[in-house]
Amino acid sequence: MTAKHVFKLWMIRLCGVVTLAATPALDITPAFAHGERSQEPFLRMRTVNWYDTEWVGKSTKVNDVTELKGKFHLSEDWPRAVVKPTRTFINVGSPSSVFVRLSSKVNGTPMFVSGPMEIGRDYEYIIKLKARLPGHHHIHPMFAVKEAGPIAGPGGWMDITGRYEDFTNPIKTLTNETFDSETMGSMTGIMWHVWWIALGIFWVGYFAIRPMYLIRARVLAAYGDEILLDPVDRKVGAAVLILTLVVVVVGYMAAESKHPIQVPLQAGEAKIKPMPIKPNPLTVDVIHAEYDVPGRALRMVLHATNNGTQPVTIGEFTTAGIRFTNKFGASRVDPNYPAELVAAAGLTMDNEAAIQPGQTVDIKIESKDVLWEVQRLVDILHDPDQRFAGLLMSWTDSGERLINPVWAPVLPVFTRLGA
Amino acid sequence: MFRTDEIIKASKLPPEGVAMSRKIDYIYFIPILFVTIVGTFHMHTALLCGDWDFWLDWKDRQWWPIVTPVTLITFCAALQYYNWVNYRQPFGATLCILALGAGKWIAVYTSWWWWSNYPPNFVMPATAIPGALVLDIVLLLTRNWTLTAVIGAWMFAALFYPSNWPIFAYSHTPIVVDGALLSWADYMGFMYVRTGTPEYIRMIEVGSLRTFGGHSTMISAFFSAFASSLMYILWWQFGKIFCTSYFYLTDDRQRTTKVYDVFAYATLGPQGDKAKLSGGKA
Repeated sequence: MTAKHVFKLWMIRLCGVVTLAATPALDITPAFAHGERSQEPFLRMRTVNWYDTEWVGKSTKVNDVTELKGKFHLSEDWPRAVVKPTRTFINVGSPSSVFVRLSSKVNGTPMFVSGPMEIGRDYEYIIKLKARLPGHHHIHPMFAVKEAGPIAGPGGWMDITGRYEDFTNPIKTLTNETFDSETMGSMTGIMWHVWWIALGIFWVGYFAIRPMYLIRARVLAAYGDEILLDPVDRKVGAAVLILTLVVVVVGYMAAESKHPIQVPLQAGEAKIKPMPIKPNPLTVDVIHAEYDVPGRALRMVLHATNNGTQPVTIGEFTTAGIRFTNKFGASRVDPNYPAELVAAAGLTMDNEAAIQPGQTVDIKIESKDVLWEVQRLVDILHDPDQRFAGLLMSWTDSGERLINPVWAPVLPVFTRLGA
Repeated sequence: MFRTDEIIKASKLPPEGVAMSRKIDYIYFIPILFVTIVGTFHMHTALLCGDWDFWLDWKDRQWWPIVTPVTLITFCAALQYYNWVNYRQPFGATLCILALGAGKWIAVYTSWWWWSNYPPNFVMPATAIPGALVLDIVLLLTRNWTLTAVIGAWMFAALFYPSNWPIFAYSHTPIVVDGALLSWADYMGFMYVRTGTPEYIRMIEVGSLRTFGGHSTMISAFFSAFASSLMYILWWQFGKIFCTSYFYLTDDRQRTTKVYDVFAYATLGPQGDKAKLSGGKA
């Protein structure tokens, strides 16, 4: 090896050491999001239309109980590319188990196991959470569909204060015992593992204290195995065998007598009825829809008929957890809803007037905001099926909210209007 | 007590050679062999039966006692071949499972606790050491790998559930939440949120291994034993394929012979003028 080679080798080593040493000094910040924006637009817009999402108690102390709740509509325009929701589960998108989920109810029914849900229907969920790990956490409701994967809902920040060391979660079982989920079974498990590992180390160590490999290989090749098979080993082996079997049997019987009442893991299916369909006097059809790429706007022409007895005013279009509102709708947005998901003046119409009872109108409506870009919904252009879906929200004069699912094919427009 | 002196004498190695062989034992045994098994076997297990082994709410009566022993006996059989056929050492399976355990416990405290904040009881691994000990001892006592495949492998699988029951029995205690009956393990799985692992991912309590009045564990254990026996045979043969050394000897009459006695390599090697060595896996 020449001096040049030695120099090169040490330079490479030096670079490696410098890289390793410099890494902690760099600005390393934790990742907070869950990649929700990386999900394709058709997944977020045309599967689950979330609404009324609430992060109750945005700041809690360790051991406090809070809620994540809201509603969702399963879009009638469910994509062909996504498996139908025949087995689904309402989940929480969080950075690890920062909260312990105490219960989860969908339309009043506990959802501990998965179950089917119906396309075109609405569901209300309430997830009860107990604060566990202090920090500033981004929490999503999630709708997981078997063979399609989790579909993230809107994300909101929840703060947990206090110390993890104070967290306890004692729960009473049906046998009147109290188990703490953080510690129950840990010591017993570790004790058994230590015992078996000790016996395993003894067994291997029993052979490791004598020549193990090279010498034995030479003897085996030269003379066969008669010398190698020591009668003492067979006796020790038999003793360890008996000891192992006795401990297994005794351990099993002791566990059975200590926990005589047992049930198998429950692997059923949640049977959840959808929310009743509310009569809706407003009918809405999308006649035409286009996405203005440079203008970051979804434009629709709606054909709407008010069959009710009160005037109806359109105030919001929501899709993928993002809310586009006009002035009328903005006043009805929950102030606690994450501001980064609201385009407060993002909805404009060519006719803002209320739709009168019995009136049929064609309305040009535009939802326009940089959120299309920020939330990567502009990627609709790369979808295999260029359609959109969402919920149109309007209110009667008496304050009743009407929700109309809308969906249609969407055409891209690559030049600015008038250009 | 042992035949150590007799064995060393039979090896015909000088004292320096004996000392060197022990150094090779220590260097090879822990840093190389053990760590290699930790890495490879742990990954193999995580890929093939990982969820059953990680999560408390996957340890059911049907799939857990089938999938886990069938997955675990693989490396055990291969390493038993290596240790037994080359050295007559009966600790291949135990060494494998100990190495796996080391990997698992590193994962419990680094991946699951330190990184993901799941409590150790929720990700408590199963133990297969009793089965591995029995597998090794059956090989030692019978000196026959076919009998080991029949007796040892069956016991390896059959012992899995009862030897783990003291660790996990409590997790099948019933609990009622919101009017629904759950086992404690189900509720643990529900409470500790796994964002990317919805409940329907669990492969538990599904299948047709059900008769004998609901004693599905017995049937699962029986099936597992049968499958483990077949898997043992297969992986013993894998061990044979990967651990057999040989070389080709071409003599002065240009006849080429496949020689399995690798120690003959050293003897034949210097006779380069009469015999040429070529190829092989010496």
